[in-house]
Amino acid sequence: MAFMNGMTQQQIYSAIHTETGHIQINAKGFLLNYDILHLIPNADSIEGVIEKNDEVAAVSPRIQMTAMASTAGTSTGVMINAVDVKKQKAVSDLYQSVVRGTYFGDEKTNSIVIGQQLADKLHVNVHSRIVMTLQTVEGDITYAAFTVVGIFRTHNSDFDKQQVFVQKKDLQQLINFPPHAASLITILLKKTEDTKKLKEKFESEFPSLQVQGWEKLSPMIQVMSSTVDQMALIFVGIILIALAFGIINTMLMAVLDRTREIGMLLCIGMKPSKVFRMVMLETVFMSLTGAACGLLLSIGTIKYFHHSGIDLSKLGEGANALGYSTMVYPALGLGFYVELVILVIVIAMIGGLFPALRAIRMNPAEAVRGE
Amino acid sequence: MPVIEVKKITKTYTETVVPVHALNGINLTFERGEFTAIVGPSGCGKTTLLNMMGGLDKPTSGEVIIEGTDITRMPAGKLVDFRLHNIGFVFQSYNLIPVLTVEENVEFIMELQHRSKNETHNRVTQLMEAMGLPDKLAVKPKYLSGGQQQRVAVARALASKPKFILADEPTANLDSVSTSALLDLMANLNEKENTTFIFSTHDQRVVDKAKRVITLEDGKVIGDSNLISKQ
Repeated sequence: MAFMNGMTQQQIYSAIHTETGHIQINAKGFLLNYDILHLIPNADSIEGVIEKNDEVAAVSPRIQMTAMASTAGTSTGVMINAVDVKKQKAVSDLYQSVVRGTYFGDEKTNSIVIGQQLADKLHVNVHSRIVMTLQTVEGDITYAAFTVVGIFRTHNSDFDKQQVFVQKKDLQQLINFPPHAASLITILLKKTEDTKKLKEKFESEFPSLQVQGWEKLSPMIQVMSSTVDQMALIFVGIILIALAFGIINTMLMAVLDRTREIGMLLCIGMKPSKVFRMVMLETVFMSLTGAACGLLLSIGTIKYFHHSGIDLSKLGEGANALGYSTMVYPALGLGFYVELVILVIVIAMIGGLFPALRAIRMNPAEAVRGE
Repeated sequence: MPVIEVKKITKTYTETVVPVHALNGINLTFERGEFTAIVGPSGCGKTTLLNMMGGLDKPTSGEVIIEGTDITRMPAGKLVDFRLHNIGFVFQSYNLIPVLTVEENVEFIMELQHRSKNETHNRVTQLMEAMGLPDKLAVKPKYLSGGQQQRVAVARALASKPKFILADEPTANLDSVSTSALLDLMANLNEKENTTFIFSTHDQRVVDKAKRVITLEDGKVIGDSNLISKQ
């Protein structure tokens, strides 16, 4: 459970902090075909309004468009993200994923940062040159050579294959993009829980624009997250059913083992309801003891691996293709433990019913003779 | 008034293909202070008769009246309570609770009766002195001999101040020394405190000690030393 939860949380964190941010604002229709003419003309002033919200951690407008990246031997379609480097660093952790070179830094003109997968495909390295074929706002085709200054590797191999980053000023100049405009604005919040609230606020503040939360921007993650939740539910359900049978078996053995004792208690005048309560209490205490031991073991194990991580690099490519990191940090919230303890008590009581009823239905005279 | 009246008791078990008539119209009366042994071959109905008298089983027909109260028509819940306050049991296999000490085993029944801690403690101390085991209060049953365990069982049966004690083959698992000691103890209690004891037994030593011997065969009373002596 912790493992699956940790993977999902990381995937969500990774998507938010590398790719989408918590909220994205763009012109309506932009995401349909990434038409450069669907732009936010007053992106700078909108950015100023957004920054005034206390829940907002950082804002970064950027230009985004499709292009063709070519080298001597290969060419491929890519998505160019033209960013203000400082602002982009505030909304995205991508700069921490650079494995070769740097994430910009020395203001060279026409520098580009690309993904490892793309670099491998184009057979390029740091200092290599890539020719980008672009369309200007007037609809003309233009070409520009970019120098690779950095290569990044994230947990998402698709992202690495498709996304490239250039400086905003370079692309603005190349395609004659309006200076205060942007294709989209990425917003990073201080708390993920504020996404819905802020999204609704921005929708009402900017009705002519499209405002989307990360769940909509990364539907795959949302689907996988809810799939993992459902799997967890099934998983826990199966374990609880097994627990119930285990409890029934154990308590039935305990009752049958003490047939004489229970028979004696019924003979001397202990009320069947008291015998029933005795068996049920024993069941609950035994289950709680087991739950406590299990919880301690689980908390200890999860805590350890939450710090050290579980290395799945042997599964590397497969995990990355789904957007999962190869290093998993298991995690479980307190709420889960509380729910589990309650469920264990409920299952214990249900499981204890049959043995308890068996105990009180004994014939005392036969039981006391061990029959 | 007699302590126990058994009136035309029959018990037939119909679970088998051929019904088993365990008891066939038994009539018996037991007075306070009796020290009675019920004897007979295996399967003659001794234990079944004791179960009827103890309210552990219901007869197919007939009545069991304990000091004027017909327990055969009593609802199950009331019968449990009646047993708790009126009938003491001593079992062949002692049936002490192994996780409790001697003191806890004896006071257990008084806790079921909701007696005060003071009364309980005093009674336990008094009984264990009578049993000759005053220094065994804190000991668990597994550290006692068979004879000692059975004496603790007798103490437990007496703790609730019952009208009579039913003992089903109480000496069956004891050696001769322990048997003698136990029988002497019970006879002493019978003499001094007028405690009524009714045994089912195969043990000749019990029969020899008993003031009254009832012989059963095939679910019928074929001998009663009480009747013989009255004659």
